[in-house]
Amino acid sequence: MSVSLANFGIADKLASRRTRQAINVDRKLLLITLIIILLGLVMLGSASISIAEQQTGKPFYYLWRQFGYVSVGVFLATLVFAVPIAVWQRLGPILIMVSMLILLLVFVPGLGRNVNGSTRWIGFAGLNVQVSEFAKLFCIIYLAGYLVRHTQLVRTELKGFIRPLLLLQVVVFLLLLEPDYGAAAVLLATAMGMMWLGGARFSQFAMLGFLVAAALALLAVSSPYRMERLTAFLNPWADPFNSGFQLTQALIAFGRGEWLGVGLGSSVQKMFYLPEAHTDFVFSVLGEELGLVGVVIVILLYTYLVLRLLRIGRHAEQRELPFHAYLSYGIALWIGLQAYINIGVNMGVLPTKGLTLPLMSYGGSSVVVMCLAISMVLRVDYETRKGDRLVQNKKGIV
Amino acid sequence: MKEKVHNPTSAFRIGVVITVLVGSALVLIGRAFDLQVLRKDFLQDQGDARALRVEPVMAHRGMITDRQGEPLAISTPVDSVWIQPQTFMTAQSQWSPLAKELGLNMADMRRLVAQKQDKEFVFLKRQISPMLGQKVMALKIPGVSLLREYRRYYPMGEVAAHVVGFTNVDDQGQEGLELAYENWLHGTPGKQRVIKDRLGRVIQHVELLQKPQPGKNLTLSIDRRLQYLAYRELKKAVFKNKAKSGSVVILDVHTGEVLAMVNQPSYNPNTRKGLKASSFRNRAVTDVLEPGSTMKPFTVAAGLESGRYTADSMINTSPGFLKVGRNLVRDAHNYGLIDITTLLQKSSNVGASKMALSLPENTLLHMQEAFGFGEITGSGFPGEASGIVNTSPHWRPIEQATMSFGYGLSVTPLQLARAYCVLANGGYLKPISFVRQQHPVVGQRIIKTKTATAIRTMLESVVSHDGTAFKASVEGYRVAGKTGTVKKLVNGQYSDDRYQALFAGMAPAVNPRFVMVVIINEPRGKAFYGGLVAAPVFSRVMSGALRLFDIAPDVTTPDRWQMAVAEAHL
Repeated sequence: MSVSLANFGIADKLASRRTRQAINVDRKLLLITLIIILLGLVMLGSASISIAEQQTGKPFYYLWRQFGYVSVGVFLATLVFAVPIAVWQRLGPILIMVSMLILLLVFVPGLGRNVNGSTRWIGFAGLNVQVSEFAKLFCIIYLAGYLVRHTQLVRTELKGFIRPLLLLQVVVFLLLLEPDYGAAAVLLATAMGMMWLGGARFSQFAMLGFLVAAALALLAVSSPYRMERLTAFLNPWADPFNSGFQLTQALIAFGRGEWLGVGLGSSVQKMFYLPEAHTDFVFSVLGEELGLVGVVIVILLYTYLVLRLLRIGRHAEQRELPFHAYLSYGIALWIGLQAYINIGVNMGVLPTKGLTLPLMSYGGSSVVVMCLAISMVLRVDYETRKGDRLVQNKKGIV
Repeated sequence: MKEKVHNPTSAFRIGVVITVLVGSALVLIGRAFDLQVLRKDFLQDQGDARALRVEPVMAHRGMITDRQGEPLAISTPVDSVWIQPQTFMTAQSQWSPLAKELGLNMADMRRLVAQKQDKEFVFLKRQISPMLGQKVMALKIPGVSLLREYRRYYPMGEVAAHVVGFTNVDDQGQEGLELAYENWLHGTPGKQRVIKDRLGRVIQHVELLQKPQPGKNLTLSIDRRLQYLAYRELKKAVFKNKAKSGSVVILDVHTGEVLAMVNQPSYNPNTRKGLKASSFRNRAVTDVLEPGSTMKPFTVAAGLESGRYTADSMINTSPGFLKVGRNLVRDAHNYGLIDITTLLQKSSNVGASKMALSLPENTLLHMQEAFGFGEITGSGFPGEASGIVNTSPHWRPIEQATMSFGYGLSVTPLQLARAYCVLANGGYLKPISFVRQQHPVVGQRIIKTKTATAIRTMLESVVSHDGTAFKASVEGYRVAGKTGTVKKLVNGQYSDDRYQALFAGMAPAVNPRFVMVVIINEPRGKAFYGGLVAAPVFSRVMSGALRLFDIAPDVTTPDRWQMAVAEAHL
């Protein structure tokens, strides 16, 4: 990425005066991201080969499209890397308005696209964009800014705790209207985590957490299809050919995988048994083909990715860059939560929700937004270390 | 700046977040261990229950060949298109190219799918060529699959149709030897375990549970060349004489093997659509007829065996008819005092009747039964008729008289041929076989060799220019035989215009190798006598047979001049 940055010539003046080593991004984060993306492409290719063949006659249809999305994501990420974090900080309040607006656009006839009973996409110029992915990122940017602007308020008063959440509730409400239950849950949980790291009082946090949980429970009970999904997850074998169909097929995939897996490309479950094998349930195919070893490696990869993101945030916080820190924390929580929830859903420890596995599942919007988010954290690291050097330089002069 | 220096998040709060995240990761890993190691057996069983299936492995049916190993029936691989209606319903947009490839009517297809929609397996089209099968699969229509099957192909078509028979669409024998040897020919499908995808397509072969047992091959006694020759000549004769039907049977004298058996009308077993069941009948085995004068040699055999007659015995046939009770037995001419050779040569009914009436009451019946009449030949051919001999305890003299010249009993052409074999091989009745015999066939002696030889010599005179069947002669060989021209029974009355023309004969006369029976049913041309209608077929086919089997000629200097004269007479 550093090479392409140099080629584009869009790094700032300081960077352009330095050697390439000086503008180096966090190699570990970059490497772990690329590993996950490449592994994701391999698994997606394998998981989608039969369904693509059947649907389009081209076995690598989904693989090539995903490759295109990843390319777009990487390209946009290099652009985003060139944007100073301060810009995002200033844009925060606007971005949350934008996210509400785009979530409303979904309901505009002719613009919204309904797939499987959910209106989550807006289509224009031949592209379908899952707007909730962007909304999540925008909300995190907004919340990071809020936590910086009202640090004391958040840490001392109930008002400071509730105010941003009210605004987020609007977004969550719109997400539930689609409905995109998974995105709403991930967004709320991420927000909670950010508030926690922002210093919100434990009592308030616990109280609101309880309220939110109650509200979610109520929603789940009020919508029968969610209730059905909930019971399916608790005991999928009770009704394995109806509500528990997808989950039992996913569990069978893991069971077939054993220690070392049946081998790359040899999954049986992807042969039309497991619905959504290339999107939300790609991890099950991975479990079948690469076994427990592959599963543990991927869980550890995501854990390492999250810890790396948190570490960059912590470093930024120590350099007194609170927005940088909260942004990194938010993105870390988001990616971590979404990855774990998706894996948990695949393995039947959480109810089935429409959540992608970050950077691995098929889906253009998801992979592009994830690339942008990682790129922002790379920028955070870059700016943080720039500060380091300035401090060191000052020390050297004095 | 109004903003204070940032007060960082406490290490405790970060620690909690990290603990929760790493804890979640560990929980997930624990769950993965649970699923992939601890509960793998249960999950794999569940998976197998959904994906593992036992499928048949088709075994092909044994080949039927002629005695030289040339194929008469072979199984060729074909594909059958079957559908899973539920899945197939979802792809209605792709139906029309499928219907076009298979030549099906869209409306019929829709009706079939609607009717069978709760079934799991429905044949859409049976037995198409593998090439067309590939084309159909290339359409990639959900719920459409192929099943490998075998279709019977009969290279000789109508020529061997009656003997070989045919199988139905499920590869089971329906007629002829295909039916008779069903257990020998049919293969036993094996079983294999496969993994299928959810659309029912096999994606992996796991193991062979039971090997398919292909059917065993069957070598018939039929000679393909002789069969073809006989068929061609019979067809020609039936056509030329405007006959209703006809049969030819050729037997090996020493083994009782059927070397050729053909009938008219025949059918093409490869495309049987729209054919009448009557044309499926192997008339030479399943149909009976009154044998007429072709029975006279057996009457003579009874006379000679009784010791009351010798080859030189004379019988007075004057005045050309014989009153038996209230009935009259007639000859064509008044032959006067004749020897037994002349009796056969001129086919004298009066002579045969006198001979029969002079013997003890049951002698003729016993002789006919000894020659195998009234019982099946043991060929095992499905639907073989046994014929009827008159076994009533008290005969009227007229019954005994008519029996002596072949009326009042019914025989199959095959039985007739078998009985002539006894005369040909020196007195042994042998079982009939459609399967090639490897070892010498033991028969049952029923008349003295001397008697058989004597009758053979007498029958040679029938095929002289003085006999009734000169047209049965074969250049270079001595031929013995007997004609028959039988009035058919129509509504209990012997018809005056419906005949069956017969010839039964053997060659070479001195040491016969082949017996052949030719029957032309209801010839409607100018000629209807066995000697004019059936004998020429015998001559042509027998001459071919002798040549094909490399039989040495037994006439060293054929009297061409004599033959030419004889022909001029006719």
